[in-house]
Amino acid sequence: MVGVRANKAHRDERVALGFLMSSSAIFVLAIVLILAFLAYNGTLLFWQDHVSPLTFLFGTDWDGFGGQFGAAPFIIGSLVATGFAILVGGPLGVAIGLFFSELAPKRVAETFKPAIEVLVGIPSIVYGWLGLTLLVPFIARTFHAEGDGLLAAGIVLSIMILPTVISLSEDALRVVPNSLREGSAALGATRWETMSRVLVPAAASGLAVAVILGVARAIGETLAVQLVLGNAAVVPKSLLAPAAALTSEIVMDMGDAPEHSAFRHALFSMALLLLLIAMGLITLIHLALRRRTT
Amino acid sequence: MARAILATPTVESLRSNNARSRRIVDKIATAALWGAASTIVLMLILFVVYLFVQGYSAISWHFLTGYPSAANAGGGVGPEIFNSFYILFLTLCFTLPIAVLAGVFIQEYAGPGRFRDMVEFSAESLATVPSIVMGLFGLIVFVQLFHWHFTALGGALTLTLLNLPAMMRVTQQALASVPQTYREASMGLGATKWQTVLRAILPSAIGPLTTGVVLVSGRIFGETAALIFTAGASVSYGASAYDFNPFHTAETLAVHLYSTHREALVPDADQIANGSALVLLVMVLVFNVVARVLGRQLTVRLTGKA
Repeated sequence: MVGVRANKAHRDERVALGFLMSSSAIFVLAIVLILAFLAYNGTLLFWQDHVSPLTFLFGTDWDGFGGQFGAAPFIIGSLVATGFAILVGGPLGVAIGLFFSELAPKRVAETFKPAIEVLVGIPSIVYGWLGLTLLVPFIARTFHAEGDGLLAAGIVLSIMILPTVISLSEDALRVVPNSLREGSAALGATRWETMSRVLVPAAASGLAVAVILGVARAIGETLAVQLVLGNAAVVPKSLLAPAAALTSEIVMDMGDAPEHSAFRHALFSMALLLLLIAMGLITLIHLALRRRTT
Repeated sequence: MARAILATPTVESLRSNNARSRRIVDKIATAALWGAASTIVLMLILFVVYLFVQGYSAISWHFLTGYPSAANAGGGVGPEIFNSFYILFLTLCFTLPIAVLAGVFIQEYAGPGRFRDMVEFSAESLATVPSIVMGLFGLIVFVQLFHWHFTALGGALTLTLLNLPAMMRVTQQALASVPQTYREASMGLGATKWQTVLRAILPSAIGPLTTGVVLVSGRIFGETAALIFTAGASVSYGASAYDFNPFHTAETLAVHLYSTHREALVPDADQIANGSALVLLVMVLVFNVVARVLGRQLTVRLTGKA
């Protein structure tokens, strides 16, 4: 009797392990399939429609139906908007991370934290709508301009990456051993000196990861950006001029581009480019983390 | 002469001057950090108040349950709200089993090794795939390759890929919160590993697990970019607002906010967008509250911990 039950438990164990491992394997399969399908569809433009990759990357003329596939305006738009978001949202996020790990009294942290969680939960389309109806008119009034453009997109993105940067930098700062804080205080450093000269350098690789994941979030963000960019397929002349990004242009054109057309293939190439950037950022994160462990 | 002596800085005066300026810098920095953190909260309050003020007049029973209108004012978002929940439900059906099992594997079973590294690296990579790129992958596979056209199922499968990593992380964190002694006690009583997971670890982790799952659900509810080209930007006009056929096109509320702004012909498009934005915001708040309350309740009920 006991033997039978033990046998059954043993068999259950085997079956369970089978399920556990196949579920885990789905993750590997998923990313492999995504890479494969996008690598194939994203390069059709080059070997089927005979558009040179150089024209795609550096050309500035874009006309989907006219066969002009220079994606440089979108690449520039994506990079500038993301750069802006990182310059503003990066330091601000790290500062607020410092606040939560070093300064915030428990009660304050408990009231502020849920606010950040709600900010994470707000859908990107709602951020876009807020940007369009709240921020764009404000910019238009302040600068006597159209209002939509890279400045608006950069500000919206700064806000959207904040929760990511805040929580990851807080985590990175919390794992710095207390002995460093105590040692610094014992040498007579003020709290700010401890933060800026001891904790931030000690947590540097973790903070770098926080900012890199912020970059990843910003460059892939679509609708919030699309609503406030103004959607002009030209190289932007200023932060206040209408522009477009890789993501926003895909959303704008995908519905119009017919299946199997070079137009649609060009949009797949833009998606492939975004995917490659994301993979590059993951690699960067691994490099940053490896530096910490050695 | 006396003045010269007075003006000559002594080591003592230097130190105190320096100490004072350092203290001032510290005060300023502290104030700045408090200010930065408060900005976040003030910003959220601004968003919430603004969306309520703008959207509240659009909300009515008719708006929440009625059909969208093609050209006239007064359309509702009933099917869209239903579709958002329906696609969320479908997505959870796929995501939960896979992600929880994978999380259990990584956290409880897998020793360090190549397979585990591969799974974790895949999860990280999946997590950084932008949602629009995932949407195009869904378009390539479900719409172009399978010829499903725009479907609720295609949308849900795309969202599954997008949210697997977050769900797995949530599971891992919940499992990590269970004390090691539970595992030792269970195994010590002769339970197998799987019995331990099923009867000791998962019940103890159910509180934080639920909190995490509901929070991720909130994000699935508001997802837009991955759905426009997989589940589509229109609703199917069937006999009722509730179309359970997973092979029909299913525009969600978030996608509706986008399509209304982009191409609607109705004169009250702004009004509808404001109303939709408010409903989405309220849902985010609801998901957050439910996550907290439910997580706490379950923890109390299943573990006896307060």
